[in-house]
Amino acid sequence: MLVFALRRLLSAIPTLLIVTLVVFAMVQLLPGDPARLLLGEEATPQALAELRRSLGLDRPLPEQYLRWLFDVLHFDFGASVRDHTSVSSLIAEKLPTTMQLAGFAMLIAMLIALPAGILGALKRGSWVDQVLTLFALSGISLPNFFLGILLIYVFSIRLAWVPASGYVGFFEDPVKNLLLLVLPAITLGVHSAAVLARYLRGSLIETLFQDYVRTAHAKGVSGARVTFRHALRNALIPVVTAFGLQLGGLLGGAVITEQIFSVPGFGRLLVDAVYTRDLPVIQGVVLVSAVAVFLVSFAVDLLYAALDPRIRYQ
Amino acid sequence: MRKHALLLTLALMGAAAAQTVTVGLDADPPRLDPALSTALVDRQVLNQIFDKLVDLDQNLKIVPALAKSWKVTNGGLTYTFTLRTDVKFHDGTPFNAAAVKYTLERNMTLEGSGRKNELSSVKEVKVVNPSTVQITLKQPYAPLLAVLSDRAGMIVSPTAAQKAGENFQNAPVGAGAFEFVSRKRQDNITLAANPSYWDGKPKIDKLVYRPFPDGDVRAANLLSGAVQVITPIDPKDISKLDKNAKFDVMNYPGLGFQGIWFNVTRAPFNSKAVRQAVAATIDREAVAKVVFYDTVVPAAGPFPPGTPAASKTAQPPKANVTFARQKLAGKPLTFTMLTAPGSVNTQLAQLYQAMFAQAGINAKIEQVEFGTLLDRADRKDFDALMLGWSGRPDPDGNIYDFFVTGGTNNQAGYSNKEVDALLARARTQTNLSSRVATYNVALGKIREDSPYIWVYHQSNLVATVKGLTGLKPIPDGIVRFKDADLK
Repeated sequence: MLVFALRRLLSAIPTLLIVTLVVFAMVQLLPGDPARLLLGEEATPQALAELRRSLGLDRPLPEQYLRWLFDVLHFDFGASVRDHTSVSSLIAEKLPTTMQLAGFAMLIAMLIALPAGILGALKRGSWVDQVLTLFALSGISLPNFFLGILLIYVFSIRLAWVPASGYVGFFEDPVKNLLLLVLPAITLGVHSAAVLARYLRGSLIETLFQDYVRTAHAKGVSGARVTFRHALRNALIPVVTAFGLQLGGLLGGAVITEQIFSVPGFGRLLVDAVYTRDLPVIQGVVLVSAVAVFLVSFAVDLLYAALDPRIRYQ
Repeated sequence: MRKHALLLTLALMGAAAAQTVTVGLDADPPRLDPALSTALVDRQVLNQIFDKLVDLDQNLKIVPALAKSWKVTNGGLTYTFTLRTDVKFHDGTPFNAAAVKYTLERNMTLEGSGRKNELSSVKEVKVVNPSTVQITLKQPYAPLLAVLSDRAGMIVSPTAAQKAGENFQNAPVGAGAFEFVSRKRQDNITLAANPSYWDGKPKIDKLVYRPFPDGDVRAANLLSGAVQVITPIDPKDISKLDKNAKFDVMNYPGLGFQGIWFNVTRAPFNSKAVRQAVAATIDREAVAKVVFYDTVVPAAGPFPPGTPAASKTAQPPKANVTFARQKLAGKPLTFTMLTAPGSVNTQLAQLYQAMFAQAGINAKIEQVEFGTLLDRADRKDFDALMLGWSGRPDPDGNIYDFFVTGGTNNQAGYSNKEVDALLARARTQTNLSSRVATYNVALGKIREDSPYIWVYHQSNLVATVKGLTGLKPIPDGIVRFKDADLK
């Protein structure tokens, strides 16, 4: 297991290097000039040239890349061109918020997906299954921005149960923190819930037809015991992969959700940075997201190997 | 004993009534330094923290602020300001002529300063005595006072600015009615009432700004009570909020203009007739009605009605499709119009497209992100593009840079020697009515050349909860909270 983990980690180094190159190239491909956007209406040609020089934007691209990479390897992501705040401190400030939101969303997703998936598989073809399928399809197709605004309208404006937007740290005021995060977490989690429920249903149906399940039934093991002890464990293996993929996708979904609910997290930081062409912030945020997605998929691989010993020897 | 209890109760009531007003803005103000600020939205916050030498009133008259009075002598070359002597910055530094000199020189020299252009006519700033400061100009520049009523005239605490250096924008210190407390990016900027403000302590204790880029979200937060003020309101939400008994809507004319630029440096718009033809198809009344629910004013030129330079005679032109067809003389015209994203922009662009089509003109809409739009405008890589201006209190700020040869905001690449000379002359005229006369001559020529179509003047749209009083509709669109009170 340890060798497997180490091999996986080492093979990630070239991948991550390529990621840095892609991130850098991607940011360079963004149309528009950061200096022009920063100066906006007040831009004069002299002011533009001055600002480009002070931001290092007048240097050749390979030099800009190497300087940036060198700094990144020292955990220095540079400073925001907007107000000179260090990018690492911005990330350190925003990342926990988004992680809490994503974690909360994942919890909601699992709470919905597990019973829905199992019920759907056991009652496949029945009206219960059909209703669940309908919900899953709407969950998958409902866009975040629509669901978010709908939830604000119903629960903040009409019913006034929760505040419409904002964020308070968990340790400042835990109750308010949860109240503020519940709508964004539902918005963010519904899509994952639907996807995971579908995965689990499909996978469980397949497992229920396996020989060992039939054997267990033949030996007189109770239905519930067969489902939960024998079939579910094996059916969960592909679901774990899907879970990992969803978790990575949550970072992307968070961009829109945070925008709607004014949650000052990673996604809003990115959107704002793109709007203002704050290159160091964009590069830092995208790189950290890439690493986060890598770490999640690494953890999923390990979990996968733990669940199914056959994986390790391949 | 009883009296004490009463006093105590009153004190507690006072404490309990500590008033916070939360304001929803459409963007997170990027830079809270009057020298470095380049975004419109910055000014909403900067105005509370920093007092200016002079201010604007509702009629755009320049009124005293940190400067009690001023004299213009030497043929418009020397401005002598008499300053208040009872003012301290939030950090305790006394306000005086040296602070004014420091601020103006900082604005003119700081790397990345957006004020260099506005102050380019300043030759020297001299401290005459602690309460008198003198600005000498290289050539007469009539817009100077108007410029000093905005960011260029916001006086910073020299001690704080020197100490903080580049970081001043994260800890701004001025002499305004509110002091900077804290900011959390994308979340809030918090200000507190300045207890020793020279014009009396503000009635509200705390002022919080929060960014909501989406108009629906901004309105939802007002409706749900999370914020007490929003600006701007989406035009579609105005009547809804206006009818709601819990809210007040302020809708007052702004200083800016919106319209369409033609790139005169290449075909098809290097032809005056073609530009005139396209311009003639625009139905300004329809634009105001369909897209803006009549919350904007059709434009006849760059100066909005109500501002001193607005023409009393020129009416916004009516659409004239026959004239457009005549000018085109049967030749087909196809071009691409650039616009920035956003629902209002999209709707506008489609409406324009339909209006062009009535004269047989075929326009393609290309929507590009705002940074790209500016970039392509600078490189003159477009046929036509939709872009406007937030506006300035002095007429010069709405016309000079847009139509002078090589002007930074001259997106058309327009050049006309006569217009250049007229615009330069207007700057040196200190008498407003003769300046306006000069502008009218220049505008006649610009209208004839048609490098730009003025379509409408945007309004300032502010919604507040009922019970919030003391906000004045000042056309620069900045909501001043010094006299605001929340019942």
